[in-house]
Amino acid sequence: METLDLSAPDQIRRRRTRSDRARRVLWQGVLAAVFAVATVAPVMAAPAEVPPIVEPKSAEAHVGKVIFVELVTPDLAAAKQFYAGLFGWTYRDIQVGGAEYAEAYLGGDAVAGLVHKPIPAGEHRQPAWLTFFSARDVDATEQIAVQRGAKVLAEPHARPDRGREAVLADPQGAVFAVLASTSGDPPDTLPAPGEWIWSSLLTSDPDTGTSFYQTLFDYEAFDLPADAGAQHVLLATDNFSRASVNSLPAKRPNMHPHWLNYVRVDDTVKMAAKVVALGGRVLVEPRIDRHGGKIAVVADPSGAPFGLLEWPDTESKEVPK
Amino acid sequence: MTISFLRRSAVALALGGLTVLPSACVAPGPVSGPAYDNSVGVGVDYYEPYGYDYGAWGSGYLVGPYRDHGHHGNPGRGNPGRGNPGPHSYRSAPASHAMPSMPSASRSGGSHH
Repeated sequence: METLDLSAPDQIRRRRTRSDRARRVLWQGVLAAVFAVATVAPVMAAPAEVPPIVEPKSAEAHVGKVIFVELVTPDLAAAKQFYAGLFGWTYRDIQVGGAEYAEAYLGGDAVAGLVHKPIPAGEHRQPAWLTFFSARDVDATEQIAVQRGAKVLAEPHARPDRGREAVLADPQGAVFAVLASTSGDPPDTLPAPGEWIWSSLLTSDPDTGTSFYQTLFDYEAFDLPADAGAQHVLLATDNFSRASVNSLPAKRPNMHPHWLNYVRVDDTVKMAAKVVALGGRVLVEPRIDRHGGKIAVVADPSGAPFGLLEWPDTESKEVPK
Repeated sequence: MTISFLRRSAVALALGGLTVLPSACVAPGPVSGPAYDNSVGVGVDYYEPYGYDYGAWGSGYLVGPYRDHGHHGNPGRGNPGRGNPGPHSYRSAPASHAMPSMPSASRSGGSHH
């Protein structure tokens, strides 16, 4: 076979062309690798565990106090946008066991966790805020709760930076969680606007409900005035009000018992209007509650209900109508 | 060094980056508990039964807190508004205890009252 006889300049030109192509391909490869790293790294670098509820650590412990709340929502992006627009919350995104989680902050303090969970097609489920009560010993609390008729929805388990927790449904079906925080409990201070300030249980049996939670958290229970056929009880520990227990509204006897948490606001009427402007709904129109506290119940765009409580620094002269 | 060798090397480099990166970027330490693991039937990601039918809160339907003004509950006597209050299954606070309010101190240490 005859070899092709090329002149020296041709050979040099061919070698240069080959070398240029090789260099170009190599650079393309390097660029592809850099692009891959730049694209994937931010996602993979997200923390793999939920953060503590108190930073820096505190030595405070307030058994029976609502110390955290978590929203379970089918649309995390919409929820983040809604609550950021409403209360000015900022977020830290976290990947937890394959689930998307956003820790919400206000003024540097953790105020809530938002968990993404899709609703399977064809199913009707109610997105909700889950209420976490401070507990000294989650396992012991769970055992007592079960003895008193509670149902275990999530067995006690540890989340390394957060603490040990369990999720339960009380004897009437209201869902709640108990948490022994590894970082201590938030201090007993008046929450700022945009932070959670109050919780109320709406239940079919306030008497049994009060007894149940009193057994778990050693609450002092104060009987409150109520309309005929209704019952309202105030729960306290450490000489602070922690929550109220209430009959279901008279015209809603079949409503599912549940805990409702309230965010402190400066102006309930304005904030209720803002809820609507941001895609939420008003479930209970703004109304005067005890001592001038103005309350509304609203729902976020996915339907998760929560309360707004205007709690002025001094008692208002307005009275319930 | 042939072009095909270089091309294969570049592709290998890119794939290698994508393969190694996840394990390199995951934070060390224990992974989360079962709360967000779908192997557990119901967890912290539990949804409530569907349908909250709000409304019809009458004028006496008050769910909020009290203020510190020496209010007292009605221990062991039921609620004044109830026609025939029976004994509670819970322990009512002693009549001598004033009804507590919420914390009044702000986080900065001042007081709102």
